[in-house]
Amino acid sequence: MDLVVATIANLLILSSMYILAALGFAFLFNMLQICNFAHGAIYMIGGYIGYLLIVAMGFNHWVAILSATLIVAAFGIFLEKFLFRPFVNDFNRTVMVCVALVVILQTTVDIMVGSKTMAIPAFVEGAFKAGPVFISYERLVTFSIGVVLLGAVIWFVNRTRLGKQMQAIAQNRMGASLQGINIHRISAIAFALGCSLAAVAGCLMGTYLRLSPFMGDLMLVKVLIIVMLAGAGSIGGIIIAGLILGTLNAVLPVILSGAASDAVIIAIVVILLLIRPQGFFGYEVEM
Amino acid sequence: MSGDPFSTDGLSDPATAKRNRMNKFMKPMMAAGVVAVIALLPVLLESIYLLHILIQTFIYIIAAVSLRTITISGQFPLAHGAFMGIGAYLAGMASKWLGWPPYLTLPAAALGTMGIGMLIGLPFARLRSLYYAMGSLFFGIGVVYIIRAGGSLTGGYSGLTGIQAMFGGSKLAYYYLFLGLTVASILALYRLEFSRIGNNLKAIAQSHQVASSVGINEIWYRILAVGVGCFFAGLAGACYAHYNTVLSPASFNFMATLWLVMYVLIGGINSFAGPIVGTIILILVPEFSRELKEYSPYLSAALLLIVAYLMPKGLVSLPGVVISRYLERKKGEKSTDVSGN
Amino acid sequence: MFLEIEGLTKRFGGLIAVDKIDMYVSKGEIVGLIGPNGAGKTTLFNLITGVIKPMLGTVTFNGRDITGKRAHSIAKQGIGRTFQLNPLFGDFSVLQNVSTSFYLHPKSSLFDIYFNTKTYRRNEAYIREQALEILKLVGLKKVKDELAKNLPHGYQKMLSIARALAVKPKLLLLDEPIDGMNPDEIDFTMAGIRKTNQQGTTIVVVEHNMRIMDLCDRVVVINFGQKIAEGTPEEIRKNKKVIQAYFGGEHAA
Repeated sequence: MDLVVATIANLLILSSMYILAALGFAFLFNMLQICNFAHGAIYMIGGYIGYLLIVAMGFNHWVAILSATLIVAAFGIFLEKFLFRPFVNDFNRTVMVCVALVVILQTTVDIMVGSKTMAIPAFVEGAFKAGPVFISYERLVTFSIGVVLLGAVIWFVNRTRLGKQMQAIAQNRMGASLQGINIHRISAIAFALGCSLAAVAGCLMGTYLRLSPFMGDLMLVKVLIIVMLAGAGSIGGIIIAGLILGTLNAVLPVILSGAASDAVIIAIVVILLLIRPQGFFGYEVEM
Repeated sequence: MSGDPFSTDGLSDPATAKRNRMNKFMKPMMAAGVVAVIALLPVLLESIYLLHILIQTFIYIIAAVSLRTITISGQFPLAHGAFMGIGAYLAGMASKWLGWPPYLTLPAAALGTMGIGMLIGLPFARLRSLYYAMGSLFFGIGVVYIIRAGGSLTGGYSGLTGIQAMFGGSKLAYYYLFLGLTVASILALYRLEFSRIGNNLKAIAQSHQVASSVGINEIWYRILAVGVGCFFAGLAGACYAHYNTVLSPASFNFMATLWLVMYVLIGGINSFAGPIVGTIILILVPEFSRELKEYSPYLSAALLLIVAYLMPKGLVSLPGVVISRYLERKKGEKSTDVSGN
Repeated sequence: MFLEIEGLTKRFGGLIAVDKIDMYVSKGEIVGLIGPNGAGKTTLFNLITGVIKPMLGTVTFNGRDITGKRAHSIAKQGIGRTFQLNPLFGDFSVLQNVSTSFYLHPKSSLFDIYFNTKTYRRNEAYIREQALEILKLVGLKKVKDELAKNLPHGYQKMLSIARALAVKPKLLLLDEPIDGMNPDEIDFTMAGIRKTNQQGTTIVVVEHNMRIMDLCDRVVVINFGQKIAEGTPEEIRKNKKVIQAYFGGEHAA
């Protein structure tokens, strides 16, 4: 019974982190048609910056996460202007730039902290009893942050002027700019948002599990899976796909070995994509 | 008349014809010259370490050029590293469990990888651009996971050991064998690309509608491209297996594929020599900057950024760009003299 | 009947693009397929040539049922076509566009191609000759080395026709061949179409431009996916339904 509850808790938390990271990626992908292969690295660096601020500089947890997010957001604006904007419609050069970025970020982390794994200390100590099991407050907080942010993103995209402008650009770039929407400014904001979401997810994962210079690679794969299964332009699709992936990742390793469950998950994903390449909830992308 | 419908020999002016004839003669001569120099390198350099680097370079050149061959059909596969892995593990397992000698495992691994590639290619061939790329990416990742989950058969996470070495481990022998295989692979892929087969692949890439309307079976040709690419990826993997005698699944993961893609892009995806140049540069530069130690990856990243910003057509375009800038400047000087400005 | 279409139907979502169309073409004819924008003419072509699959109905060519067959096998049957938006092999030269299109006749085997055998070289020399002939016919020989994407619009359209001719089609489907051409080019193209027909190729032409009717033996008129009229050019010019389809609707819009 505790196994079930623990698995459900695990599933929810993993899903929320996957969804946050995937939303960040989707911002760039839907709006700017940029496939940011460095998204995982940004997620990773967000986590490490959070760690540095908390452990090395003694910031309060909440302040640290906020600061890490702002730092990464600023970095995102810089990246958008210099690394991605020049190559907006050129997939080849974008990929090159992303790989360069990943190498730079991973090497930097490697030099500064080495590759020993570390974890961000918990937000809050203690646990409470939910039925027969103990659930740490930590996990509750992590999950809540995820849900709150998710709600904020949905509200932002659907209710604010800025969000609607982003939707416009996603659907028709040329048309939007003819309407007077400042594409560059909005792209910068979108990039900042996308990177922020990744950074938060990185910090959360850093507390929930651990940090490692290669956690970005793993997360990138999960994000790509979620975004491709969801299809372009659908936030609801990302939530559902994120939940499905979170469930698979929480449940399967209990039954099978770690490696086998990874293989099964990918096999399922490949089959699903062959059945419906454009994703199950969104529209098809012409590239 | 040369009989080649795509050339303009014999129909153009004498100057162009002369240039074409020279190209036809000069290019193979230069290539042969380069190969001769490379063949003499071990004698000239006497460094086992350099031999080791060059051997790796040969293996990755085969993989990079064959990756590019697939891309001329308009498909952008992101699983080439995994196919190298399939070839490596096929050869390794045949060597370890079946006791097959290398002259059997190498062709068997290449053919096996080709077969698997074409089989997988069948459902994937219907996918367009982005979805093909992503699908192949996930497939490649899946291959690594399957290898990892292979228990004692594949050695799982920790890898496969005990693969037969060749020539008693003599690096010199490996060097010449792999040099030969690389040259043969390059020639084979070159012939494919510049024959009507390659032409049809390029046609499909430009407009599959038009290609179909003249009778070209798009799916069949796309699978052919993948099959050829996978054959050589498998060959490269098998060479890797017998050279290193141990395999680890992490060597063939998504990052491995991504680096192969980098070798192709940095050299120039639109040129046959591109992947060769790219592989050499991206392997040799970090090796020769060993003094930088842990900072050396920054150099590779810098290379990627420089090429992305300054040389979008890849490093192969560098001589062309330099020469045309030089000629332009000369012409500029001349015309200012004449006009007196 | 050379080409026989019976009950061909295709729906896209809620929209019926082609609605139970019957049509026939006799060998050696030039048939015009006209109708206002969005009438379903190109969809009909796409159904015949295997670009899309029909929901209902059959297409019979030269006695063979070719319904729903894939595009490349339809080309093998001897049907060539041009496309409305005029795709080409943009990065190939004009000559290369045409010689690439000689895929089917003569067809070299993979072995011959790869190993550059005598058969292959003989075939390629023949193809080159024939390609130059076709280019001369459509007046593009002087630009044979230009990249297709750099050609002016009218030349590009003629290149499509040249490419379609390389298939040695028994039936040629032309989709808006004179669209965007200037009057000289139109005259030239129409003369070329007539000449091709006289040499034995059956032709079906989709066009907006009514001038094409001067060429046709028969005209079929389509609107909203349905056949609304059929007959000789004179009959069609006088047909009230046709006039209404082209001009009547504008008052309501």
